[in-house]
Amino acid sequence: MTSYAIECNNLTHYYGKKMVYENLNFRVEDGSILGLLGKNGAGKTTTINILNGFLQPRSGECLIYGENTQHLTPQNKARIGFLIEGHVQYTFMNIHQIEKFYARVYRQWNPEPYWELMSKLKVTSRQKISTMSCGQRSQVALGLILAQDPDLLILDDFSMGLDPGYRRLFIDYLREYAKAKKKTIFTTSHIIQDMERLIDDVLIMDYNCVLAQQNVNDFMRSFKQFYLEVEDPSIDLKKEDFVVNVEKVHNKVEIYTYESEEFVKKFLEKNGIEHRAFQQVEMGLEDAFIGLTGKY
Amino acid sequence: MWKAMIYKEWLKIRWFTILYALLGMLAVGYLFLKVQHDTTFNQPNNYWNLILFKGLKFFSPLKFIPLAGGLLVAVAQYFPETVNKRIKLTFHLPFNENKVLLCMMGFGSCCLLAVYLILITLFSGIAAFYFPSNIILPALVSLIPWFLAGFSTYYLVALIVLEPVWKFRFLYLLVAATFIPLFFINGSTAAYQPVNITLAVLTVLLSISLLFSGYRFRKGEM
Repeated sequence: MTSYAIECNNLTHYYGKKMVYENLNFRVEDGSILGLLGKNGAGKTTTINILNGFLQPRSGECLIYGENTQHLTPQNKARIGFLIEGHVQYTFMNIHQIEKFYARVYRQWNPEPYWELMSKLKVTSRQKISTMSCGQRSQVALGLILAQDPDLLILDDFSMGLDPGYRRLFIDYLREYAKAKKKTIFTTSHIIQDMERLIDDVLIMDYNCVLAQQNVNDFMRSFKQFYLEVEDPSIDLKKEDFVVNVEKVHNKVEIYTYESEEFVKKFLEKNGIEHRAFQQVEMGLEDAFIGLTGKY
Repeated sequence: MWKAMIYKEWLKIRWFTILYALLGMLAVGYLFLKVQHDTTFNQPNNYWNLILFKGLKFFSPLKFIPLAGGLLVAVAQYFPETVNKRIKLTFHLPFNENKVLLCMMGFGSCCLLAVYLILITLFSGIAAFYFPSNIILPALVSLIPWFLAGFSTYYLVALIVLEPVWKFRFLYLLVAATFIPLFFINGSTAAYQPVNITLAVLTVLLSISLLFSGYRFRKGEM
């Protein structure tokens, strides 16, 4: 039987009269790495806040290991590692003080990975975290989470403010750790190439709804982009059932769909749509994300 | 839980608390330099006469010292929690959120109390060189509301700083601006004696008010 680290059921939330989402449902399987993708304002941080009990949804509930996130017990909170957007930590401490503090908080504290990461940083032992660079702070935050050894890691925009080197270091450490220890990760990031290296499953949100939730490889296999140049630029394909999204510049058309090349070709033929240069375009996750959600 | 929280809170407020204790001691020292000056030029008997029968409050330079301490410790302790909403880290610790806030408040109160006790001891000890007990005791009774004002300021500033919504912060500020002057109404020495207990009870009740700001933060008010 599949067990879930996170289950959100019929989640509905509004800011004033503005709906964020209605009846949102998703689950995160134990041991999987799920990336939550969405445009700005689609509700990613809202979801993270609800998961951490910092926001009460208007209706519905989120469960973490079977407990409502609005009333997590201390035992359950100890199983969750939380990375706040911007790698926020207690910046008035230095790396020794912060380790000493958290070591007193968590019973299963394992300082090894923390000090391994700290040894890579060029910081002095008395240097306050507030005086470190964003990349260095990210390593402190990551080291603390690894030392906490939680079962579930919730990471809010972990790549924010990091240069490519630190991003790569962060992701490689995280993925190796999660896979070796069968940890569950729920993460958001604005940099989708990073997600591609890290995640097993993808949850793509748009305003008010979930557009896709599946294994990222399955998604990349099933979601396709076709390019063609039509003779008549006034043709509108947006309303066709099989079309998820269309991007059009003059007569150059990109069709995003879950249907096969054969299906699309037959459709064009059947409807007498004159075209040339038809081809399926290889996509990365970022292309697929933009294809699914649109550029605007 | 207690050890970890006390360690964290101490790291935040230690220099401010030590600095405040030193400045407080300097203020007490200044007060008695002034007393020394006045007794030298007025003769002790005349000076005592002014205190006992003319209502001279020789201790009045200390009036706002406890309030300044409450303000300083509260800002030093709670402001860092609000920068980048760092309080989320504190609420995510594997402890009950209300217990965490009460622990923070309890530790801040204890630090403040420790400094106040040092100042009161210093005040009483030096005062014993200059005055008889029937001058010192009413002076200490008069100091009580000022020290209670220090605690109340600490609790109200904690409430204001942790409050997530500016509109509510302004509202609490109005409450504080109305409540705190109650501790500083001019009167004769020891005039507050009948209400000191009531003020103490109000101060203790105020101590848990920061739980409300914590609750509002956790419900996602913004």
